[in-house]
Amino acid sequence: MIQCLLLAFISAASTTVSEASATAVDSISEYDEVLNEVVVTGVRAPKLLKNTPVQTTLITSRMIERSDATDIEELLQEEIPGVEFSYAMNQQVHFNYGGFGGQGVLFLIDGERLVGETMDDVDFGRINMSGVERIEIVRGASSALYGSNAAGGVINVITKVPKNKWHVGANIRYGRHNSQRYGINLQYRNKIVANSLSGNYSSIKTYDVHSSPDPITRVITQIYGNRTFNVKDQLVVTPLEGLKFTARAGYYFREIPRITDTPERYRDYSGGLKGQWDINDNHEIEIAYAFDQYDKSNYMKISGLDVRNYSNVQNSIRAIYNYTDSRGDILTVGGDYRYDYLDNTKIDNEAKHEANADVFAQYDWIIDDKWELVGAARYDYFSKGDISRVTPKISARYRPSYNTNVRVAYGMGFRTPTLKEQYYNFDMAGIWIVEGTPSLEPETSHNFNGSFDWWYRNYSFTVTAYYNHIIDRIATGLPYSKVEDPSQLYLKYVNLAPYDIMGGEATVEGRWNNGLSAKLSYALTHEVFAKDKDGNPTNNQYIPARKHSLTARVDWNKKIANDFDFTIGVNGRYLSGVTNIEYKDYYDITAGTTDVRYPAYTLWKLSGSLMFCDRYKLTLALDNLFNYKPKYYYLNAPLTDGANFMIGLSINLD
Amino acid sequence: MMTTSLKSFIPWLHVILAALVMQSCSGILSGVYDEPSDEEVTTVAGQLYIDASEWDKWHYIDLQEVADSTAANSDFNPSVLWSTFDIPTQEISDNDTRNGIYTYWYDVFGSGISVNEFRSFYPTAPQPQPQKWSIAVHRNNVRTNGASVAETGFRDLDEIPHDKSFLNALIFQEDTWSETDVWCEQSRMLLGLIGNQGIMINTVLSSWLDVDIPPIPPSFAMHDNVFIIRLKDGSYGALQLVNYQSQTGTKCCLTINYRYPI
Repeated sequence: MIQCLLLAFISAASTTVSEASATAVDSISEYDEVLNEVVVTGVRAPKLLKNTPVQTTLITSRMIERSDATDIEELLQEEIPGVEFSYAMNQQVHFNYGGFGGQGVLFLIDGERLVGETMDDVDFGRINMSGVERIEIVRGASSALYGSNAAGGVINVITKVPKNKWHVGANIRYGRHNSQRYGINLQYRNKIVANSLSGNYSSIKTYDVHSSPDPITRVITQIYGNRTFNVKDQLVVTPLEGLKFTARAGYYFREIPRITDTPERYRDYSGGLKGQWDINDNHEIEIAYAFDQYDKSNYMKISGLDVRNYSNVQNSIRAIYNYTDSRGDILTVGGDYRYDYLDNTKIDNEAKHEANADVFAQYDWIIDDKWELVGAARYDYFSKGDISRVTPKISARYRPSYNTNVRVAYGMGFRTPTLKEQYYNFDMAGIWIVEGTPSLEPETSHNFNGSFDWWYRNYSFTVTAYYNHIIDRIATGLPYSKVEDPSQLYLKYVNLAPYDIMGGEATVEGRWNNGLSAKLSYALTHEVFAKDKDGNPTNNQYIPARKHSLTARVDWNKKIANDFDFTIGVNGRYLSGVTNIEYKDYYDITAGTTDVRYPAYTLWKLSGSLMFCDRYKLTLALDNLFNYKPKYYYLNAPLTDGANFMIGLSINLD
Repeated sequence: MMTTSLKSFIPWLHVILAALVMQSCSGILSGVYDEPSDEEVTTVAGQLYIDASEWDKWHYIDLQEVADSTAANSDFNPSVLWSTFDIPTQEISDNDTRNGIYTYWYDVFGSGISVNEFRSFYPTAPQPQPQKWSIAVHRNNVRTNGASVAETGFRDLDEIPHDKSFLNALIFQEDTWSETDVWCEQSRMLLGLIGNQGIMINTVLSSWLDVDIPPIPPSFAMHDNVFIIRLKDGSYGALQLVNYQSQTGTKCCLTINYRYPI
C-alpha cells in the first residue's frame, strides 16, 4: 500500500509538473499562503511561518476542515507522523510524540495550559476541533518560554476569531457503533465587538472486541463508549485601535460508562480575561488571567449521587511586554504566577496547593537578510519542594535563498514533579499501591534539533532531526515489598537514570493546479529505554514510541459545476511494531525480563465531500478502509473492529 | 474619544477584578456534586446494610433475630445485628480437610476469570461462624446456614403474593462447594493468582451481584430480583439487593431489602 502511494505520488508529481509548466503556475502558490500564515508559539510573538526562527509545524484551518476530526486525537494521528494515542490501564488515553508522553509535551489552548490529568495525560477530549483556527506544533524543549512540561515540545491550539459580521455554522456526523456528533458555531463581529460561541456534542456506544487465543500480555475486551459535551465562548472587545480585551469561558463534560451503573464523569470549567495593548509600533503589552478547573466524579445511578473524587484548579496571571525596534528585532520579557490546587482522594491526607512564579526574557535578533538568532532564558520557582530552575534556549535561522530555511536550536526542558507524583497513595485493586515521593528531583532535558525547509512552486520538502538527553525522568520504579507488609507490592515514583531519545522527520508535499495535493511524512524515533539508577529496567506503564511511522495523504479537489465543489481523498498511517521490556514476574524481579513485541499496523481512510451553494457540505468517509482488525487488542492496538462508514453534513451561513 | 472610552471601561474592569478576587482558589460550583459520608448510612424499615467490601471477612445475620428485634421495636436498626468473622488463612497441618486456601490462576488479562486453573492448596481451620445465623455475605458471595434459595421474577417485595402457592413453582438450590469464588488473598493478583477460600456458597443468591474481569478494575452488575430463601426450619424469607455501593462509592457495601417470614 505504501509503495502504491509512493508511486502514485511520483506519478502525480511528474504529470502535473508538465501541466503546471504548460499553464504557467500562479506566482502565489498555496505554499506561499501557508508560509505567510502568522504563528505565535515558537517565539511568543507573531511571526510569519516562513520567518520564524523556531521550526514550527502548522495544521491549518483548511487541513482541520478536510480531516473532519472531532478532537485533537483524531486530527494529530492523521496529520503528524510519530504521534500515537494508545491506552494505559483502564483505557485512559495516553499520548506519545516521538518518545515524549503527556507530561513531556505541553498542550495549550490559545497559550493557556490545561489542568487535570489521568495516567499522566490531559483530557484530550477537551481539545475539540470546533472553532479551531489552527494548531501550531513546536518540537523540542521550549521550557525557556513555557516552563515546566515543555520538554518534548508545545502544541498550541488557536481559536478562530470571527472574520465576518455574521456566521452560523452547524454540522452533524454519524458513524458505526452509533457514533454521533452535533456541532454549532455562532459568530458575530462589528467594529468593536467580536463573539464566537461554539458547542459540540458527541457520543459513541460501548462495544466488544475479540482477540485471538493466547495473547502475550493484557488485552482489551470492551471499548468503552462515551458522551461528550463541549461549549465555549470567546468575546473580543476592541474599544480603541490597538487596545483589545478578550474574555472567554468554557464548559466540558464527558461521561464514560466503564461500570454501567456508575459512569465516570469528567468536567472542566475554564475562563479567562486578556488585555492586549499595542501602544505604538514598538511597544506591546499583554496581561492575562486564566482559570481552569478539572473535576472527576462517579455518578452512582442507583443512589443518584454524583461524588467528586478529583479536582484540580489553577489560577494564573501573566504579563508579557514586547518591544520591536525599527529593524524588526523583538525583545520579550514576561512573567507568570500560577496557583495550583489539587484535591484527589487518592492523595494522602488533604488537598495540596502549589504556587509557581517565573520570569522570562527573549531577544529575537534579525542579523541580516539571511540570519536570525533568538535567545531566551527563564527562571521558575515552585513552592512545593522549594524547586527553582533556570532554563535557556537559543535558536537560529539561516536562509541561504528565498525558498530555503535552515534552523538549528538548543533548548533545555524541565518538568517539575506533579503533586500526584509527590503525594499519591493509591491501592490499585489490590495489585499494588502506587506511592508518591515528595523528594523527587525535577526532570531535565537537553534538546538539540535542526531542520531544513525547501519549497519551490508546487513542492515543499522538510527534514528535521533531534537529539534529547533526559536526566532524572520521573516514573514509577520497580515493584517492591515493605518489611512490615511483605505480601503487598508497592510502586514508588522515582527519578530514573539518564537516557536518550533521538530521531527525525521528513515530509514531502505537493499541491498542483489541477486540484491534486499529496503529502508523505516519515518519522523515526529511537528511544533508549530508561533504567532506574541501579541499572534495572523499569516498570514502564506505557508502551514506548514506535521506531518508524508514516502518514500519507492524497486529495483531489474539483469544481464540477457552478456552486459544486467535489473533494476526494485517501489518507493513512503506518506504525511499526515496538518491543517493550517487561518483567516476567513482578513479585520476583530476579526472574528477569522478557521482550514483549507489539505488532505494526496500518490504517487508511477514504473520504469525499461535496460542497454546494457555498454553504452546504456533504461528507462521506470510510475509515479503516481495508477493514483491519487487530489480532490482539493490546493497549496500543488501534481500537477498531473494522471499517467504519461515516456520513456528515455541515451548513455554513455568512 | 480615547479618554471617554477608557473611562467607560474602567467600572467594568473593577467589576471583573472584584469577581476574580472573590474567585475561590479551590474551585467553583462544588454544589454540582454530592458530599455523602459513609458514617451516615441511612436505611428504611425492612432494609439491612452491611459493608462487605473486605476480602478477608464473612458477615453473618440471623433473620429470626432481625424479625424479633424489629417486632419489639419498630425503630430498631437491624443492621447492627451483623456479626463478622475473619476468614482463616493460617496454614494448619491437617491432610484430611478440604477447608483451606485454594490458589487458582485466572486469565484476568486475557479471556477473563471464567478461564482459570488450579495451582495450589493449603489447609486452614474451618470458617468460624455464630451459633445462629441465616445468611452470610462476603463481597459478592452469599452462603446460607443449610438453607436453599430460588430466584423470582419479582422486582419488589410488595409483588410477593399472599398466596404461598407460588413457592411450589420455584426451584430452590442449596449451597454448593466452591474453591474459585471467595477471593480472599490478592497478594499475587498481578500474575493472575488469587487465593480462594474453599467453602460452601449459594450460587443462586450470589448471582445478585456479578463481578467480572476483564475489565480492570472489575465490572459489577447488580440484579435486583427478589430471592426467596427457605431456611432449614422450613420458614421462608425474601431478600432483594437494592444497592451494592456505599454512599461514597465503595463496592460491595450491600443494601438489602428483606421480609421475614413471608
